[in-house]
Amino acid sequence: MRQVECEVLVIGGGATGVGVVRDAAMRGFRSVLVEKRDLSHGTTGRYHGLLHSGGRYVVKDPEAAVECIEENRVLRQIMPHCLEDTGGFFVSTPWDDPDYGDAFLEGCRRTGVPCEEIPVRQMLKEEPLLNPDIRRCFRVPDASADSFLAGESNAASARQYGAAILNYHEVRQLLRRDNRVVGAVCYDLVGDEEVTITADMVVNASGAWAGRIAAMVGIMVNVVPGKGTMVAINHRVINTVVNRCKMPADGDIIVPIHTVAVIGTTDERVADPEHFAIEPWEVELMLSEGEKLVPGLRQMRMLRAWAGVRPLYQETAAADTRDVTRAYTLLDHAARDGVEGFITITGGKWTTYRQMAQVTMDKVCSQLGTERPCRTHQEPLPNPFAAEPQGEGDYHLLGARLARTEQAQSFGNLICECEMATPADVERSIVQNEAKTIDDVRRDVRLGMGPCQGGFCTLRVAGMLHALRRPSVTETNVALRDFLQERWKGLLPILWGSQLKQERLDELIYLSVLNVDRLPGEKSSKLGPSMYEEIGD
Amino acid sequence: MNLQGDVLVIGAGLAGLTAAWQVAARGGRVRLIAKGWGALYWHAGCIDVLGYYPPLGEAAVSSPAEAVAALIQERPDHPYARVGVAGLDEALRALQALCAQQGYPLHGSLERNWLLPTAVGALRPTCLAPETMIAGDASQPLPTLIVGMKQLLDFYPTLIADNLSRQGIPAEGVALDLPSLRECNFINAALLAKRLEQPQFRAEVVAALRPYRGRAERIGFPAVLGMEQAVAVKAALEKELGRPVFEIPGLPPSVPGMRLHGILTRVIGEKGGRVYDGMQVVRAEEARGRVTAVYSEAAARTRPHRFNRYLLATGGILGGGTATDSTGRVREVIFDLPLAAPNDRGEWFKRDFLDAAGHPIYQAGVRVDGSWRPVNGDGQPVYENVYAAGAMLAHCEVIRERSLEGVALATGYRVAQMLAG
Repeated sequence: MRQVECEVLVIGGGATGVGVVRDAAMRGFRSVLVEKRDLSHGTTGRYHGLLHSGGRYVVKDPEAAVECIEENRVLRQIMPHCLEDTGGFFVSTPWDDPDYGDAFLEGCRRTGVPCEEIPVRQMLKEEPLLNPDIRRCFRVPDASADSFLAGESNAASARQYGAAILNYHEVRQLLRRDNRVVGAVCYDLVGDEEVTITADMVVNASGAWAGRIAAMVGIMVNVVPGKGTMVAINHRVINTVVNRCKMPADGDIIVPIHTVAVIGTTDERVADPEHFAIEPWEVELMLSEGEKLVPGLRQMRMLRAWAGVRPLYQETAAADTRDVTRAYTLLDHAARDGVEGFITITGGKWTTYRQMAQVTMDKVCSQLGTERPCRTHQEPLPNPFAAEPQGEGDYHLLGARLARTEQAQSFGNLICECEMATPADVERSIVQNEAKTIDDVRRDVRLGMGPCQGGFCTLRVAGMLHALRRPSVTETNVALRDFLQERWKGLLPILWGSQLKQERLDELIYLSVLNVDRLPGEKSSKLGPSMYEEIGD
Repeated sequence: MNLQGDVLVIGAGLAGLTAAWQVAARGGRVRLIAKGWGALYWHAGCIDVLGYYPPLGEAAVSSPAEAVAALIQERPDHPYARVGVAGLDEALRALQALCAQQGYPLHGSLERNWLLPTAVGALRPTCLAPETMIAGDASQPLPTLIVGMKQLLDFYPTLIADNLSRQGIPAEGVALDLPSLRECNFINAALLAKRLEQPQFRAEVVAALRPYRGRAERIGFPAVLGMEQAVAVKAALEKELGRPVFEIPGLPPSVPGMRLHGILTRVIGEKGGRVYDGMQVVRAEEARGRVTAVYSEAAARTRPHRFNRYLLATGGILGGGTATDSTGRVREVIFDLPLAAPNDRGEWFKRDFLDAAGHPIYQAGVRVDGSWRPVNGDGQPVYENVYAAGAMLAHCEVIRERSLEGVALATGYRVAQMLAG
């Protein structure tokens, strides 16, 4: 059993958790983050990739809109390499309340969200596939965000400031001495051992899992997982984020992200953050609502569907003391529950993760009786791709990988042709980032997410993993099978047409040509995917 | 170009090519049209007849003859039941004779499956394998050296070697870093195959291998040992290395698959037939229960092709002969033939990608009568003059069974016999 000591222990490796651990480390705290899977494995890695301008909330929730636009400006300064400056449209389709447009404009004015109405003619010039029957269009500073890269960059920054990031460490128990939380007992899934971590403060940043962590010390935190389902389309059907100009609802946004476009989302309360289904009606709704924005979308090739769980905080105790805005919730368990050394931060959006981290660490400082100012908004995050082609303003450039390949004239030197990932990218993930699974490599490198969904790169990454690490071969075999199953998981809800044909090719490769089902070793491992529930369960 | 003749084969996979070859060889006037280059470019380049048959056990089938006989007993609808073991054997022997005559022998028989290493180091049961592959057979646990090339990103020798070792075949892997490949900015299997036909490149490989030969009693390479002259390339390497040499097929495009495609295309031409690619059939015309023409897409318009009989060998879902959509519709794309298929999308799939029984949707296909004509719900042929072969046929799961090429070859052969007879 390992022992680790620190000042601040952060539970959860999503956007909030890595934001908190970076903030803590920059304020000079010896900090540790534990995450039970890989960084960004949970909700953070399963959203559509929108950097909010705030436009979405200007009418419904002005306070949230203000937070969004403030943070939108900050993130553009500190992490442009994680953002593509697509801009955003809010469009009034024939199905939307025509009066909402004026309310939207007024809301933008009041909350300070920059907004400009443009002629539909201009909109169609910029985005020719949008529905020509759209009546009004407003331009806002939305952008698309790479949440995997942002997570990695925050973690890298935290490490530079001395923090330890422990992924595949699952919290099994919170350590309590009298009325104080003093650490946690974790289980290291990869090392197969227990790790005891003691800390002066424990920050529960586990999102939809926050209630489960708090319950370990008998504290009731009611977080209802709100499932959102998204579908990726095999084309950049649009290059601008497109929102319906109406009160937020299901299937009302398309986000262009890297080489695809993502349509989202639903919002369904589920009982358990780990066990839920992607229902056929959800996929159907994405297609029919998407069709209203981009006619013909239904006939396009869908790559994949996935669902994440938003943490929806519900207050239960009447006399609670809490610092809360509509957008996120900070629970000081000393004041609320009489338990010292323990804070929960939950709710919120990816866009506001840094602000959430800041208020959390402000609270930690005041509890520890020290005054150390936040600096996370002043210092840019490290960019692992700094040497590669960048877009204007150092934003992510969609053509960066192509430019890189063209510069090197290395057209055949690719592990993933769909997303132009090179052997050097994969080697960096395996050696430097210590990827534990092929799915970890996917998040690091962005591979296996294009049309063939791992059909060609799974073998190649497994081969590289084996050559670079030389683990027991059965470990490589199960990593390969786990990844095939992980890809299958998100294909099941949208498998028809060309994508079904593609999957049959992947079967031909992995069964008929490679016989991977008969390789020695286990069929699946504890690091493998947990499947969506079956429909009707 | 508007084609005319007696038999039009649609599809350039193994079923279509076999059928066109056999019709032509028997004196029939045949043309083959296809959307692309056909499915052999994806295949390992062996003839899988039946690799697994769970009722006889989980292990790989050792005698395809016995296992096919058992399967025929159990499943009278399976395409093999319509062909019979003798019909299957005849088709295999005919292909073997053709390939031997073309200088690319396929070895093996229905009596015994080979167990050949794959590009991950699993052992794959297959009935016929080209001469370039058989030295890899796992029935002899000979010390083996697996050789890749650093620049070939589809082949990882240590993974293959470690898996072979784990299965009782002592093996080591090495990825050669060949100076002449360092300058290339594009390497793939087909390109390497051409290079290996050049003596100076082979000499470079042989020299680079000298330190590694050690106690290996055979040497495995990716399946790139020559395109047209594979057997000669293999023999030359064996001579220079002093060890048996074998190829291991891997990710598509497959050089051994291309070789088979080339042999069949050539023989069709020699026998007076012809293969056209880039001709996707988009619709058919019918009159009084007969198809009178099919139309293929060409620049700016469609072209009719009028034949007496039409053989549908467009493959299943992978080949593109069967299309599906989000509403759960499963459709044969040219003649809109009735398909045996699961009705509801909810029944198309199993939870595990590698499910042993396979995903029900992939068994979607046409049912045929005794003359291989697709039938309707009443068992009556839909058209008098439309026939079907290969993966388009219902009641088989050719990938799970490892019967992909066997079903294509045997049904293509049998239908051609009938059409030419």
